[in-house]
Amino acid sequence: MIDAKHERKTRKFKESDYYDLKKDGQYFLLPFRFHRITPEKEIIVNEVGDFLILPTGTCERIVKRQIDKKTDSELYGDLIANYFISEEIIPPLIDVLATRYRTKKLFLNHFTGLHIFVISLRCEHTCHYCQVSRVTQNRDKYDMPIDYIDKGIEIMFKSPNPHVTMEFQGGEALLAFDNIKHAVEKAESIAKEIGKGLTKVICTNLAIVTEEILEYCKEHEILISTSLDGPKFIHDSNRHKPHASSYELTIKGIELARKILGHDRVSALMTTTKLSLDYPVEIVDEYFNMGFQGIFLRNISPYGFALRTEKSRYDTEKFLTFYKKALDRILEYNFQGHYFTEDLARIFLIKMLSPFNVGFVDLQSPAGLINGVIVFNYDGGVYATDESRMLAEQKDFTFKLGTLDDSYNELFFGKKAQEIAEVWANESLAGCSECAFQPYCGADPVHNHATQGDMYGYRPNSDFCQKNMEIIRYLIELMESDKKIKNIFQGWARTVNH
Amino acid sequence: MSFHNRIEGNEIIVFADTSLYSKDSIFKCLYWYGDKYHANVSFVDSNTYKISLKPMSDNLISAEQAEKLLQKLERDLLDFNLRDIVTKETKNIRDLLIAKAFSNGEFDELPPGELSDPVGFNVNEIKND
Repeated sequence: MIDAKHERKTRKFKESDYYDLKKDGQYFLLPFRFHRITPEKEIIVNEVGDFLILPTGTCERIVKRQIDKKTDSELYGDLIANYFISEEIIPPLIDVLATRYRTKKLFLNHFTGLHIFVISLRCEHTCHYCQVSRVTQNRDKYDMPIDYIDKGIEIMFKSPNPHVTMEFQGGEALLAFDNIKHAVEKAESIAKEIGKGLTKVICTNLAIVTEEILEYCKEHEILISTSLDGPKFIHDSNRHKPHASSYELTIKGIELARKILGHDRVSALMTTTKLSLDYPVEIVDEYFNMGFQGIFLRNISPYGFALRTEKSRYDTEKFLTFYKKALDRILEYNFQGHYFTEDLARIFLIKMLSPFNVGFVDLQSPAGLINGVIVFNYDGGVYATDESRMLAEQKDFTFKLGTLDDSYNELFFGKKAQEIAEVWANESLAGCSECAFQPYCGADPVHNHATQGDMYGYRPNSDFCQKNMEIIRYLIELMESDKKIKNIFQGWARTVNH
Repeated sequence: MSFHNRIEGNEIIVFADTSLYSKDSIFKCLYWYGDKYHANVSFVDSNTYKISLKPMSDNLISAEQAEKLLQKLERDLLDFNLRDIVTKETKNIRDLLIAKAFSNGEFDELPPGELSDPVGFNVNEIKND
């Protein structure tokens, strides 16, 4: 028999009264924001992205100190446990909350990781939405010269990040494969010498890929990122290749690359065009049938040639309808037991449902430009993001940080970088500063500039704001409406790459 | 003197007590109307703000829409005032939280209370090797 004294000694927790700091039920507010998600429900979100869905009017009751410790004991407990209120002016576990905040901003720890080398502007495709490419044989004018490649590599290894990624883009990057080989081998030898991690990626439409190229990629552990816009009739319409089917070449290329490099070494990205908007199910099915584990439903960027043609112009509302239909289809696959994700949703869900964050250029604050990514253009120009160099093709050099002849400090900490830094945190932007979805969203000065004419942006008619707000709201609505969907989303959020 | 919120032709007029509504909350609220409406804030007397919204010329509204807009503005003013209360009341704790988060632990304190060891782990004798 266990005597009472002994039983008490082995208890791990004291009586609940012991933890009751305030018997009178007075409480202090902690920082949080709220948003009405439906007429009946509102969401409150704290500084680290934890959220509670509550009946409309609850926020007002919290602020007016009308939550009673005894009669609303469950809600009161949730508010305390999730750091929305505290019984002491400084919550006893503030250091835990601070650690969680630091974890959410972990992407700032190492500074620039992704270094994009625009190895050539030449391309053999004539995609109607392409922002930058040129169909030409003029290597001298449109390929990145070796000395710029070397300077780019030198700058890349000055990054304090212990693991850097070099990504080759085009035009069609494989048209300058000899230069890629030079860059890879040079970067590998420096990485080995100084003990830095190095990931290499080639972005290619795979039209001109050969076994020989892929064998080289295998030997040097290079990842392949390609473009697949959906079924043949969509892909070929979007991605025009004179005298050939781009779709057939891409599919053949993906299969060959998977055979040589391995299934998981090949990824694909799609771009939504006006034509795509009518075929959400077909596009998702294409990715599923091709054996991908997910799809990133990206809307077309408002840059370069993309906006010049009526064919590419569509409004955010239409994209959101498309997005929701596609997400429904993706969820159907998940209900059938397949793991198949939508990657934009996954980014938001990781922020909402996990202790971590995702470093994604326009969905982080401070924004990922310069902090996370930098672009070395074929002509030696250094740009804040991939979209920035696309603006430059229209003679808009707002986000040109300098050239590869400049020093690291001039590029990364110069006047232009400082100017951008003024507007790269959504915590300090009008319209964002008190938005409940702020911890899930980000700042995109380049998009603001391209669509609204200034880096600061204007939230009431921003398509960036409209799109992200609605997708986040919709994800919450889905989770609230169906427990099965919540479980699926929790599964997506658990696969964090950090 | 009392002021009633109303619709006058194509204009929405709302009054707010200066002791209940902060100036910041009113401007933060009206920010969201600026793309479609001319927004104006003035004092009727020292205790009352007069807030008005007028559609931009190419954006005329029906009586039904005006009623909905009035309702939305009234609700948004309340919401932004609540947000403003939370922001101001929690400013110091938010600053402290972020300062602690980025101090890399150098200002961390031990949690309050005594460290007891009822199951006999002898935590003080655990070596971190």
